[in-house]
Amino acid sequence: MLIQIVLIAILLGALYVTWKRSRQNVITPPEAVLWSLLWIGAGVVIALPQTATLAANFFGVGRGSDFVIYGSVVLLFVLIFKIFIALDRVERKITDLVRRDALRDLPKHERKD
Amino acid sequence: MRVIAVIPALNEAARIGETVQKVRSYVDGVVVVDDGSVDATAEAARADGVTVLKHVINRGQGAGLKTGTEAALLLGADVVVHIDADGQHDPSFIPALVEPIKAGDADVVMGSRFMGLQAVGVPFSRKLLHRAIRIFNSLVMGIPRKLTDPQSGLRAMNDKAARNLDFKQDRMAHCSELLRLITRSDLRWQEVPVRVVYSEDTLAKGNKNMDAVKIAWQLLLGMFDR
Repeated sequence: MLIQIVLIAILLGALYVTWKRSRQNVITPPEAVLWSLLWIGAGVVIALPQTATLAANFFGVGRGSDFVIYGSVVLLFVLIFKIFIALDRVERKITDLVRRDALRDLPKHERKD
Repeated sequence: MRVIAVIPALNEAARIGETVQKVRSYVDGVVVVDDGSVDATAEAARADGVTVLKHVINRGQGAGLKTGTEAALLLGADVVVHIDADGQHDPSFIPALVEPIKAGDADVVMGSRFMGLQAVGVPFSRKLLHRAIRIFNSLVMGIPRKLTDPQSGLRAMNDKAARNLDFKQDRMAHCSELLRLITRSDLRWQEVPVRVVYSEDTLAKGNKNMDAVKIAWQLLLGMFDR
């Protein structure tokens, strides 16, 4: 099927970029492994759709396609949550910078340190 | 003992001058942190014995308090008092907050609105909100139920406590985070009754009932951001 070939080609591209980014130290090796598992898992489901049905039966979900949808929702939730945490971290770094800047205005002669 | 009050302020040009004047008579120094105001808050706060610092962009009340606390310590504070800029906290209660610290009986003293002194103008919805936050604090945050005020912004602490309480929440959740840090540390803490006056202005600017959800969300994110 053409759609299977196109999707698998995209996933191979994603796999390549993942390890390229790992070599560039943009992501850590454990992160690269996790992403690779995701791409490979998606590739297996695309190439052999019956594996999704097997997994769906194992988890007690009716159909393989339902299982893929449910799994995607959970995965997206986790990824969005990770983005929120990353944003929170950036916000705190901004606060540190703003604080450092504000404390520079503290008159030197008043300091007791 | 050198007592320094920290007042974070956002767009409080109309009220900060009066608040600073009232607070000054009870402390040895005042640090006002203008948290990225777009009005003349910083200018209105300037007076003798008042140090005005400015956040170039708004970072939240918790961030302002932390900046002010660090400044107070650099200025040689033995006791740091946190107080709101909008005038809802009565500065005449500052001596009652500071006294147990001066006497060596406590490291942190928190003002409580629920220890007998009737708050003025507190709406029913706000009472419900306080109750919800108190339940959340005890069940989720592990803050003892014996603590009567879950969101008191009027507090005093000695320099040891001010150095050790490393709170990281920049916005509304700093209050619950501070309570958790205080009650889980080896710091000696106590509450004293204080009176809070709610006005239309302070209610319009203060926490909204939906903010409880935001606070819970910020605390959840904070748990993962270490």
